[in-house]
Amino acid sequence: MKISSRQTQKSNTRKKIIETAYRVFSEKGFAVPTSVIAKEAGVAHGSIFVHFPTLNDLLTCLFFDFGDKMGASLHMLAEKCDSVESLLNEHLNVLEEYEGFYTRLISEKNRLPDEAKSIFAVIQSTVAHHFSSAIDREIEKGTVKKLPIHMLFNTWLGLVHYYLLNKEFFSHSNESVIRRHRAELLSSYLNLIKKESEVL
Amino acid sequence: MKTCIACGMPMKNISDFAANDESKDYCVHCSRPDGEMQSFEEKKESLTKFIIKTQGFDESAACKIAEDMMRKLPAWKKYFD
Repeated sequence: MKISSRQTQKSNTRKKIIETAYRVFSEKGFAVPTSVIAKEAGVAHGSIFVHFPTLNDLLTCLFFDFGDKMGASLHMLAEKCDSVESLLNEHLNVLEEYEGFYTRLISEKNRLPDEAKSIFAVIQSTVAHHFSSAIDREIEKGTVKKLPIHMLFNTWLGLVHYYLLNKEFFSHSNESVIRRHRAELLSSYLNLIKKESEVL
Repeated sequence: MKTCIACGMPMKNISDFAANDESKDYCVHCSRPDGEMQSFEEKKESLTKFIIKTQGFDESAACKIAEDMMRKLPAWKKYFD
């Protein structure tokens, strides 16, 4: 079926709104009015409502988009049955790409609408699923200490979230905190969870 | 590529499908030993247990997340209407 230029324009406008919303939410937080997003995207305020009737619809769309990206990246890696190190590295790749957005998400989560909160919980559960498959394999091989999976997962998230939420202490204003501390976060966490004989 | 109607997992290899049968719309993790698809209650319970195991959540919080996961999937939509 031929796509009309009107449909192409509509799809481009939607894409522009989504891209701008990612940037504006990252910079100003999720309470920003849609009029600011429209202005920054260079589209009429009414256009946003054509694509996203409520702010919640826009938030939901962005969260699903972010969740799909995270899920697809980790699933691709999981297929290769790779090491926990590769998985954590990929987790950090996605977080670095969406660093501003994700940091807003974890800092403002409790003020978000229920639907957005629930999508976030589903996204973290997907990450936990891939994490647990990789960790289970390593525990079985004897390379990782036999600790409860949820403590291993929550320790990793706690560490990464601490750096993200305190970015001003760990990096310069325009610098990615993940990029700057990636090697140290990864190696320290892996040394904590690995058996003595495996520690580098 | 097909995705499992009961959990959303992409099914690429034959071993991803229930009973190694590519005509099935659900995956190996969502099937019973006899190849039939798990029931709504069975799937909810296994997802809840999995969330508790991997994230250490309280049972009622884990159950709510399991339901939110299932709500979007074709196999379970009718249970939420």
